[in-house]
Amino acid sequence: MNIWLYIIRKVVNMIPTLLGVCLIVFVLFNLVAPDPALLLLGKHGTVEQIAQIHRELGLDRPFWAQYFDIVKSAFTWDFGYSWSSKQEIWQMIKNGAFPSMAITVPAFILTNAIAISISLLVSFYRGKMLDKSVVFVCVAMMSIPGLAYILFGQYFFAYKLGLFEIAGYEPGFPNFVPYVLLPIVLYLIMNIGPDVRYYRTAVLDEIYQDYVRTARAKGLTEKKILFKHVLKNAMIPILTYLIIQIPFLVLGGILTESFFSIPGLGGLTIKAINTSDFPVIKAMTILSAVAFMVFNLLTDVLYTLVDPRAKLK
Amino acid sequence: MTTTTVRPNQSIWAHAARSIYKDKLAFISFVIVTVYMVMGILAFTGVIAADWSKEIGPSYSAPSADYIFGTDIFGRSVFLKAIKGAETAISIGLVTAFITVTLGSVLGLIAGYYGGKLDDFIGWIYTTISSIPGIMLIIAIAFIIGKGLTAVYLSLGLTSWVGLCRVIRGEVIRHKDREYVHAASAIGGSDMRKMFRHILPNVSHMMIINFSLTFQMAIKSEVILSYLGLGVQGRPSWGVMIDDAKLELSRGVWWQLGAATLFMFIIVLALNILGDAIRDALDPKLKGK
Amino acid sequence: MNLKKCVIAIMAASLVVFAGCTKKQNASERVLNLSSTAEIKGFDPINAGDLYSGREISKIYEGLLEFHYLKMPYTLVPNLAEEMPQVSTDGLVYTFKIRPGVMFQDDAAFAGGKGRELEAKDFVFSIKRLADSKLNSEGWWVLDGKIKGLNEWRDKNSKLPATNYDEEVEGLKAIDKYTLQFTLAKPFPQFLYSLAMPFTYAVSREVADKYGKEFLNHPVGTGPYKLEAGKFDQTKTIIYVKNPTFRKKLYPSDASPEFQNLLADAGKQLPLVDKVIVHVMVESQPAWLKFNKGELDFYGIPKDNFGTAIKDNKLTPDLSGKGMILSITPLLDVTYTGFNYENKLFQNVNLRRAMYLAYDEGKSNELFYNNTSFPAQSIVPPGIVGNMPDFKNPWKGPNLELAKKTLAEAGYPEGKGLPEITYDISDSTTSRQMAEFFVKQMEQIGVKIKIVASPWPEFMAKVKKKSVQMFGMAWGADYPDAENFLQLLYGPNKSPGANSSNYDNPEYNKMFEKAALMQDSPERTKLYEELNKFVADNVVLMYNMHRQSYTLQQSWLRNYHTSDLHHNNVQYLNIDNEVKAQSLKKF
Repeated sequence: MNIWLYIIRKVVNMIPTLLGVCLIVFVLFNLVAPDPALLLLGKHGTVEQIAQIHRELGLDRPFWAQYFDIVKSAFTWDFGYSWSSKQEIWQMIKNGAFPSMAITVPAFILTNAIAISISLLVSFYRGKMLDKSVVFVCVAMMSIPGLAYILFGQYFFAYKLGLFEIAGYEPGFPNFVPYVLLPIVLYLIMNIGPDVRYYRTAVLDEIYQDYVRTARAKGLTEKKILFKHVLKNAMIPILTYLIIQIPFLVLGGILTESFFSIPGLGGLTIKAINTSDFPVIKAMTILSAVAFMVFNLLTDVLYTLVDPRAKLK
Repeated sequence: MTTTTVRPNQSIWAHAARSIYKDKLAFISFVIVTVYMVMGILAFTGVIAADWSKEIGPSYSAPSADYIFGTDIFGRSVFLKAIKGAETAISIGLVTAFITVTLGSVLGLIAGYYGGKLDDFIGWIYTTISSIPGIMLIIAIAFIIGKGLTAVYLSLGLTSWVGLCRVIRGEVIRHKDREYVHAASAIGGSDMRKMFRHILPNVSHMMIINFSLTFQMAIKSEVILSYLGLGVQGRPSWGVMIDDAKLELSRGVWWQLGAATLFMFIIVLALNILGDAIRDALDPKLKGK
Repeated sequence: MNLKKCVIAIMAASLVVFAGCTKKQNASERVLNLSSTAEIKGFDPINAGDLYSGREISKIYEGLLEFHYLKMPYTLVPNLAEEMPQVSTDGLVYTFKIRPGVMFQDDAAFAGGKGRELEAKDFVFSIKRLADSKLNSEGWWVLDGKIKGLNEWRDKNSKLPATNYDEEVEGLKAIDKYTLQFTLAKPFPQFLYSLAMPFTYAVSREVADKYGKEFLNHPVGTGPYKLEAGKFDQTKTIIYVKNPTFRKKLYPSDASPEFQNLLADAGKQLPLVDKVIVHVMVESQPAWLKFNKGELDFYGIPKDNFGTAIKDNKLTPDLSGKGMILSITPLLDVTYTGFNYENKLFQNVNLRRAMYLAYDEGKSNELFYNNTSFPAQSIVPPGIVGNMPDFKNPWKGPNLELAKKTLAEAGYPEGKGLPEITYDISDSTTSRQMAEFFVKQMEQIGVKIKIVASPWPEFMAKVKKKSVQMFGMAWGADYPDAENFLQLLYGPNKSPGANSSNYDNPEYNKMFEKAALMQDSPERTKLYEELNKFVADNVVLMYNMHRQSYTLQQSWLRNYHTSDLHHNNVQYLNIDNEVKAQSLKKF
């Protein structure tokens, strides 16, 4: 099958999923959530104002029309205005994307570069003490909750030792750099464990393949096998893993951003949750679902392009 | 017929038990998990830590011989709170993992076994759910069913079954055409019987692996839920203790954070190691790594 | 090993960038560094429902009146008005003269980009915006039912597809360029306070029309500051610079006794500092740490840092060594535990009294307020006429004996027969701890309480829907008048209004209605006190605390005092750069 046809079919397949996402959003926030008019009244409210708000928000219209609005917003990306900040949501999202990525993109590159290096190193010594202790350290690091890292890091490294900015953000390069350093380090600490484990498995998966045995039989050095053959073949799972993480980079870290006052999308989401700002929660849900689907498709396509064994099905 | 399908499994289980027993680290982990379980049960039945809410000393006393992990704002023992928190954590881990595994395997079985429209429908549900970031769904579910332990169980359980469902579905499709299933049809076995008596035991190792994964994931997620104000209420939990620490740290009160993190670290680490060991032992594909 | 090299290179590069990033600042420029503990909801005065947005909006926009910066109790003085208004003898017609020569800040919305002069019609427009139901202002209550013809205008326009601002309202008239006249529908003695609130600040029609829904990001006022970026980008750092076209406005030369020490800058042109940087920091911990590094000029001490900051009501040597100054100011507020009177259970006065008697306010003060608050005896806080400093509520605990006895009188000896009561709170670490304390206190007399915590908006929604039993809340003054507190228990204000407990007592309502129409007078004060006593004796609410703010300021900050109603205080603040340079060496 032609690769373009394959992509088109996959894209068409995304539509029912997107409709499903909209349906869940609709059920949760239009049907079962508390009446938004009560959330928006302010401390001195009147009954007349409640009806007024229903009319302004279009909540007095039939359900199908409300569901259709959500579906429409998923395609036009016009999410309307936030209830709490009164800002246009699309604008808020655009404003938040950069600060989030100022942390996640460098952190992501750094973490993965380090994780891949470590995993190659330990797979070289697989089964030995070094391998075992690295795996143990990774698991140990994964066993501490992220919030504990953040609390400790902020208090100890930023306040006690004064190595980093405590919190805050300034737009523009290089002003933002001092503010994102500690969050980057924390991202690294929180993510290196699972990353090393994944990459190690991916590399080991290849090491036990027949062609490695053949190469060894041919007398190639272990180093050469590892870098020339194994790494090349392990690239497929590695790339898949890398790409599928990308949507989460845009979303940012919810806890990190709220603790370090980073005006990113993670902070935006948590604020929307704390203020019951339904339009923003809906928008973030739909957007991240779309991002997730798109990058999923991308990995599928990549997979079929790189791996001749995978069939276009 | 049945015996032939179960026997290879038995040997896998026996093999798993043997290899975990041989692996010192895994064995210690197993002991730790057991200790926590016992601690949870004892706390649940009120044998230990029943008077966690009693004042035992002044507010915010540092750890000492009298107060082993110090006291909290009300002068309650942080140690007892951490133990009572173990009960909360264990119950969250167990119930969530139970919901996840049940949902995941039943839906996976049905989808894989029947195929067709039913498979499409279940596939649609799980792609839809997996496209939405977990945290959003969890929040939304907490919105509907309110706050508290039940909300934590359900929101974590209902959002994390997708992975298992997908894997089991794949496995079931592979097993469906195996000889032993055909044989079962030949002697007139019903669909139910084939699914649950014959196919299920052959994918059960995945359920076990997933159970241990979900167990520790749930314990860790509880911290985030507590930070978001969606956690358990009216009883101690490690997440709530860590959330308290957010404010206490700057007055030098580190022991709530310390105790909760330590208690959680030990069990999650043990579960992780045990989970790895079980997976290595049960998943033939991964043997030898 | 390419990857490894790559990693090392990245790490090295980031270290270089880190090391090279020191902040540059112009030495002579005076910069104020402030923090806001809540997000800013944009710069539209009619949405200034919360304190934090109100403070930011007040840097750019202004109203007819303001509170004198150096006078306590709060005293209204003219701001954009030239003088205090003339009031007709029946108290219904208020005539204002607008200060001539006040210019709107320059903006593309005006012809030629130059701001035009402020006129009386701008106030007519601004107040109609507040009443426009399509804009859904949180501040509508301020004038709801107060100005003749305004409610009719609102109702009529709410049914039209677009609001007609050209239609005249009888009670709201620009008589000429500089004369503004309000006609009230009924006497409203608190009317002038509403003209000092951000809700009624002057905006211009050109700007509102040009930016439409984006108006809130394009603040163009008459005030002392403007945004450096020209518009609000919803960043966590908001930077203001001096408004070059700001009118002549001088630092006051008179002050009440307690503020005599703040007169050093008397007679100087405002604003005093060149630049104001506001850091939005929701979590108190990082902000406190930032203050401690000298990066904020003042900050309220967070509850959990109190122990390390204050010993025996004095600053610890660590902080005072850095030159920090502590100021303690009572806030105009009351925290309370409410009952929902729609629930028959709570109409039993002895039950309410028993619970109030069982509660140990002193202990709560110690645990949650570091003994800095005043246990409340009734609803009106100190500092407001109607508060009775010597009054002791006979039902205020802790008195477990009497509590148990009263509970028995209520028909629930030792709590028998009393169902479990749910207690709703808004979710935060501190309020959760307070609720736990409440549960423990009620346990002593056998009253069982179940805590239900929800995020603030959801909690409010439940209260507005009357679906709570008991709940914890606080009320901060909108204006310094007891009426603003007493109306919390006025029947017709029940949910979704401000009367969250849905208390509706004909006797109280009647007395309140009478007081609400009275001008300030000894008779009104007497009536206020009577009302205050009435709600105390009936334990209509469990009055918990009147809080105080404990604010620390840096040695280089000048003219600062804490206040909940001086939203526009920033123009009066000053920075001593020399002292700052000296002091920072000690940090």
